Amino acid sequence: MKGILRTKIPQALDALSSGAQVLAPMKINGVSRFACWGQQGELVLGASNTLIPPKDAVFGQTEKMYKYQMGQEAVTIEEIPQDGPQLVVFGIRPCDVRSIQALDQVFLTKGFVDQIYKTKRDRSVLVALGCSQPQQTCFCSSMGINPLDADGADVMMWESGDTYSLEARTDKGKDLLAKLEPFLTDVNNSSPPSPKFSLEFSMEGVTEKLQKMFEHSIWDKWYRKCLGCGICTYVCPTCHCFDIQEKNIKDGQGYKFRCWDSCMFPEYSLMAGGHNPRDSKKPRIRNRFLHKLRYFPERYGMLLCTGCGRCLRECPVNMDITRFIREVREVTLDV
Amino acid sequence: MCNGDCGNPLVPIPGKLIKIIEETPDVKTFHITTDQGKPFTPMPGQLGMLSIPDVGEGMFSITSQGQEHLEISIKRVGVLTDALHEAEPGQPVGIRGPYGNGFPIDKFKGRDILFIGGGIGLAPVRSLIGYCMENREDFGKIEILYGARSPEDLVFQEDLFQNWPKAKDTTVYVTVDKGNDEWKGNVGFVPAYLEQINPSPKITLLCGPPIMIKFVLQSLAKMGFQEDDIVTTLEMRMKCGIGKCGRCNIGSKFVCLDGPVFTLTEMKDLPPEY
Amino acid sequence: MSDTVNKMRELARDLLAKGEVKYVIGWEKGTLWFQSPPVFITSPDEVDRLVFDDFAINTLVTYLLEERGHEGKVAVFVKGCDSRGLVRLLQDKSVDRDRVYVIGLPCSGKKDPNQAMEMNAGDASQIPLAAKCQECTHPNPVISDVTIGDPVPEKPNQGRFGNVNELEAKTPDEKYEFWAQEYSKCLRCFACRNVCPACNCKECLFDSTRPRVLGKANTLSENQVYHLTRAFHVAGRCVECGECERVCPVGIPIMKINKKVIKDINDLFGPYEAGVDLETAPPLGQYKSEDPEEFM
Repeated sequence: MKGILRTKIPQALDALSSGAQVLAPMKINGVSRFACWGQQGELVLGASNTLIPPKDAVFGQTEKMYKYQMGQEAVTIEEIPQDGPQLVVFGIRPCDVRSIQALDQVFLTKGFVDQIYKTKRDRSVLVALGCSQPQQTCFCSSMGINPLDADGADVMMWESGDTYSLEARTDKGKDLLAKLEPFLTDVNNSSPPSPKFSLEFSMEGVTEKLQKMFEHSIWDKWYRKCLGCGICTYVCPTCHCFDIQEKNIKDGQGYKFRCWDSCMFPEYSLMAGGHNPRDSKKPRIRNRFLHKLRYFPERYGMLLCTGCGRCLRECPVNMDITRFIREVREVTLDV
Repeated sequence: MCNGDCGNPLVPIPGKLIKIIEETPDVKTFHITTDQGKPFTPMPGQLGMLSIPDVGEGMFSITSQGQEHLEISIKRVGVLTDALHEAEPGQPVGIRGPYGNGFPIDKFKGRDILFIGGGIGLAPVRSLIGYCMENREDFGKIEILYGARSPEDLVFQEDLFQNWPKAKDTTVYVTVDKGNDEWKGNVGFVPAYLEQINPSPKITLLCGPPIMIKFVLQSLAKMGFQEDDIVTTLEMRMKCGIGKCGRCNIGSKFVCLDGPVFTLTEMKDLPPEY
Repeated sequence: MSDTVNKMRELARDLLAKGEVKYVIGWEKGTLWFQSPPVFITSPDEVDRLVFDDFAINTLVTYLLEERGHEGKVAVFVKGCDSRGLVRLLQDKSVDRDRVYVIGLPCSGKKDPNQAMEMNAGDASQIPLAAKCQECTHPNPVISDVTIGDPVPEKPNQGRFGNVNELEAKTPDEKYEFWAQEYSKCLRCFACRNVCPACNCKECLFDSTRPRVLGKANTLSENQVYHLTRAFHVAGRCVECGECERVCPVGIPIMKINKKVIKDINDLFGPYEAGVDLETAPPLGQYKSEDPEEFM
């Protein structure tokens, strides 16, 4: 197995940055996110997980789509190109790798292919960092994810003492390791310790049960303390709902962009004319949990929750999906 | 700059409104074309995203089409539709599509059909009626039942009173909630008129305001119509039109991609959130 | 503490058993030991979930806005800061006084669960008082139907504008840079607005499409519009509960600007504390002939 000394990581990232954009976990102004290596900020590789998930590497919070120029006779529409250099997402955790796989399902399958996402995804390389010390809020193992092995990674990395050992999983990964040749040394093939989780539960039968629980009284208890803000949806690595709006600059010139939206906001489902199928907190909370645990599995065959724990940590009122799941498991349905 | 198979499916084709017809005080029909003629050829029941780029974009059902243009009938309800209603012929617009599953035409072939529309709900229904008229031999007897609030709110009056009644084996019933001095036709709500007409169970296409749909479904059930033979369209707020942005979901189905057309059997499988 | 908690549970049980209120809003234990999030107790046999420990820091009064358009009475626990939020809601006529049963809890300060998380603390004694509690001026509820627990010594009104002096000492360019850095972190999650008792408009300006004041693009200029407009909308009505800053996931020092606005209002209109007494109207909500008018 090959490895890199922890002290050599900054140089390794410098090397990778030639001809590519390297996104690494950085703390900037107190906020940790996957940001461009080489700009201001402190590298926080290996420190639990970032606040802002790495979904913004392939699905940015605001993405410009096309420019328009309104005229008397006609409108001209010009697509804004989304190409760029290779995107190396360095140090992404297995829970977040699973979230990228979920986003792949949304944007690349079922009828249409989202070009903006595809362009970014095709040029991305995922260098995943395995977890041997989960946080108190982590529960990826309960969601069917192996914290030491991300099956969607191009390169898999593990921490061991003062080294990171690396293993290429795909051709893209092999090419990346080739670039890191000068920094690689041979390391012992020791498997990292098995991680221990304080949050652990079974997901068995949850989706099936939720298929019968649309009108269940559980929702009456769960929606009340929610503030209706968007924190959970914005820090969630799998949330992908977006809005499309225009930005008018002047003289009929402007651009259309898409941006993250949240199903927690009341106007999310508000139709012109005033009808709103989800016009209070209860249907919105119900829709969010059902989307993660029932609708997405029904449509794409996988859960939309990866157990990263950001929502139950960052939510100001601790809306805890694990507690919800445990309550669902204890529900007895009338046959 | 095209749709579906090349380029970004979220980017529209530049076009313009070439003709604007005032149907009622708050409904107008717009004819849209592009430099290349008709932007795409939709099947009956399919949708298109029409935009005035610096105002907004909205999903509308395509009510009819010509050789070189699409026809979309739009009710004035919000920011974008306001701007469309204020527009003049020649207004530059953006258009992309076709979206949605369209009507299951094969289900209707060779059978007698009942069309029920309420208010602006006649617009999506009209696309299938138009198809049936153009391929008249493929379909059986046609009954069309349409209702609006008042005589001024009746849409597609030329079709209702002149074109459709003249077609072979086609009967048109029109009713209004509230008449006026000139109105000689039926006065009453659609569900009540439906029970009066008492058609025998057959395949039915039904579109209109949620409250009308609710009561018509009750009447159809009373009259013995099969759930699988009742076809309707559902509506949710739509932004991307391609099943990615998430907001038009009813359960695990997206109205823009898996719908907007659903049979009553399929609808009953969906969570009642629309 | 535990005597207080027992009394809280008893009172809640009593109110619910007698059908005097629909539900009781309090705090319960959350996922981790340092989380005590809000809870809605709807039946007498659930009252043992109620707690009042170091982490019962959330305000509960903003939930009363959900009762608009409904009927029935609701009981809510309030600390000092929360009670000022309630006065805010009452003065703004967003809540009917006779639909709320207010249970006051004198409070000597709480601890921030986020700090506990960051410090990876083992127990509460390792964690300092939350930032908002260090500047507390009203530890005892200013309004209540009943109080549980003994009053806490009042705090002298000093250090209220400590951070503001630091801000005022910057040059305009430095101030712009400082806020540009902070506001570029903003996710536009609206947690600050949703938790704030002063933000009680039935339809928020930032949600309206006609006119559309705020786009959804996450750019610095849109974020600046949001924060600065909100600071002005709550000006003179902010009760200094500090919840906005505490719930912000990216740590924007929202109270810094609110305190600056409050200091300016104090300088212009005389010393004022919002949400302390129901009778005094907010300075920007009334006209007095002595109001300064240097521009006339």
